[in-house]
Amino acid sequence: MTLALPSTIQARKAEAATIFGSHGVPTRRVEEWKYSDLKVALGEAGIGTDQALWQVDALPDGVEMFDLSRDGAPDWVQKHFATAGRNIMGTASLTLSDGGVALRIAKGAQVSAALKLAFHGNGHVRGLLVLEEGASLTLVESVGIADFRNVGFEIVLGEGASLEHVRISPRSGDAVLVEEASLRIAAGARYRAHFAGFGSKLSRMELEIALEGEGAQAHLSGVSVLDGKRHSDVTTHVIHRHGNTTSTQLFKHVAGGYARAVYQGKVTVAKGADGSDSHQSAKALLLSENAEADLKPELEIFADDVKCAHGAAVGDLDAESLFYLRARGIPEAEARGLLLQAFLEDAVAEIVNTDQRELVRTELLTALKGIA
Amino acid sequence: MLEIKNLHVSVGDKEILKGLTLSIKAGEVHAIMGPNGSGKSTLSYVLAGRAGYDITEGSITYNGEDLAALVPEVRAARGVFLAMQYPVEIPGVTTMMFLKTALNSQRRARGESDLDAVAVLKLVRAKAKTLNVSEEMLKRALNVGFSGGEKKRLEILQMALFEPKLAVLDETDSGLDIDALKLVAEGVNTLRDPSRAMLVITHYQRLLDYIVPDRIHVLARGRIVAEGGKELALELEAKGYEHILKEPA
Repeated sequence: MTLALPSTIQARKAEAATIFGSHGVPTRRVEEWKYSDLKVALGEAGIGTDQALWQVDALPDGVEMFDLSRDGAPDWVQKHFATAGRNIMGTASLTLSDGGVALRIAKGAQVSAALKLAFHGNGHVRGLLVLEEGASLTLVESVGIADFRNVGFEIVLGEGASLEHVRISPRSGDAVLVEEASLRIAAGARYRAHFAGFGSKLSRMELEIALEGEGAQAHLSGVSVLDGKRHSDVTTHVIHRHGNTTSTQLFKHVAGGYARAVYQGKVTVAKGADGSDSHQSAKALLLSENAEADLKPELEIFADDVKCAHGAAVGDLDAESLFYLRARGIPEAEARGLLLQAFLEDAVAEIVNTDQRELVRTELLTALKGIA
Repeated sequence: MLEIKNLHVSVGDKEILKGLTLSIKAGEVHAIMGPNGSGKSTLSYVLAGRAGYDITEGSITYNGEDLAALVPEVRAARGVFLAMQYPVEIPGVTTMMFLKTALNSQRRARGESDLDAVAVLKLVRAKAKTLNVSEEMLKRALNVGFSGGEKKRLEILQMALFEPKLAVLDETDSGLDIDALKLVAEGVNTLRDPSRAMLVITHYQRLLDYIVPDRIHVLARGRIVAEGGKELALELEAKGYEHILKEPA
């Protein structure tokens, strides 16, 4: 541990260590980890104390960066670091990581070029992204393959800020990749996120999002295409703390072989958060008898006059559509691919950034060719 | 071109077609009429190769080949086209993208080269105009939000685009008002050709006022029970199916 850490941050880390100490590495007996037994996936190696790495290519104009392993954390880091979220693995990275990256977009800055952030290597690492009032950014996060990595990410959106976050998790066999993002979203701020996952031994993206001010919005979407014994888990918890806040979630999964797609989405509308609006939808297509989808949308409402809807469905390709395409000359494998692509399309269409949308489409096409 | 002999078809445990025999030559337009449940749609599906329609007896020969041995996409590439009664809606696939994929799939199967997007668009536009299919429809997801008339027009547009040798039209008139019916019939009539055979399946005589067939077959209880020229349609319209069904076939 670096001794030069300001006392405020040291105190927060100590608190996290206490919380992690009381839980330990999650197993399937922990409700939120029921479909993703981290302890079993890691085996004897455990979570270790390695330090994972991060990399930012070509820092766009308007983005300030601070290396968390260095001394002299600026005020904005001291103010926000380790303040949001207390999910188990998030407290683990706070306890075990000495480094990471902090990024800030100053008040009102509109960053036009996408910020490309990569996490790689084994071990634990932290990220902090602060968008001050009225700032806007596209964050493209890439996920390097590793035996085990645990990323703890905090994102703070000031009033009226706008962030689009696109994360692509690559197809891999043995990797155990977990990430917890905790977000605080102020009044009028908008967070859009898209998670494309191609599965690994255990792959989990967990989000905890607090909508803290009038008009705050979170729009989450994601797709996964899984084959073999691959696993992909997106677990979300959106908390409407303030009234007139909006959240939408749209997740689509395609699983073949012995693959397992997991979506757990919990929406809490806190007391007094009247007039909140939330919508959740998760769908999966299973291409083999042994593939599995666990879709669990959940609602907790303590407020009045809220509009909440959720739904989940698991099915197979529509035989009638398949016949229609084949009867028009499209060979079966290609027709299946087309229908799978079509199934995923509305979630992909949620990506606003054109380059990233096309990139996700291309990656999906490649993955679907192998699975259809 | 098409030779159906003593065709028996079952769906699950139920026999629907019970010894249907029918022959169509190139350049001819035949109509199949029959009451609900007579097996009309089963015939259209079995010609296009839909799974679940099992041929238990008899044969379908198309240009000298056993049609039943071919998968649906191969039938399409060989020139068999079925305009469906209920075209499916496929969200996430634009109409234009679907047309290009289908056309190029058929071309590839015949050993022809792919057409690029511009060439396909040009072809589609030329056909779309006469069928009153708008640019906006082509950009939308396939059949999603289309009215009944729009769906049927798009089926005929595909028929014009793919230029099949054997076109089967399954209840193409259902759900159309008279103007839409005329437009669709006109589209079909322009595709009448000495090298092309058509099989028009319908419940009502109305469509046959506009697409005048060379021969009419009446299908009931899984078999052809009566045959005749175009005047047979008028007789059916006047006297109803009961009249024919009562006579021993």
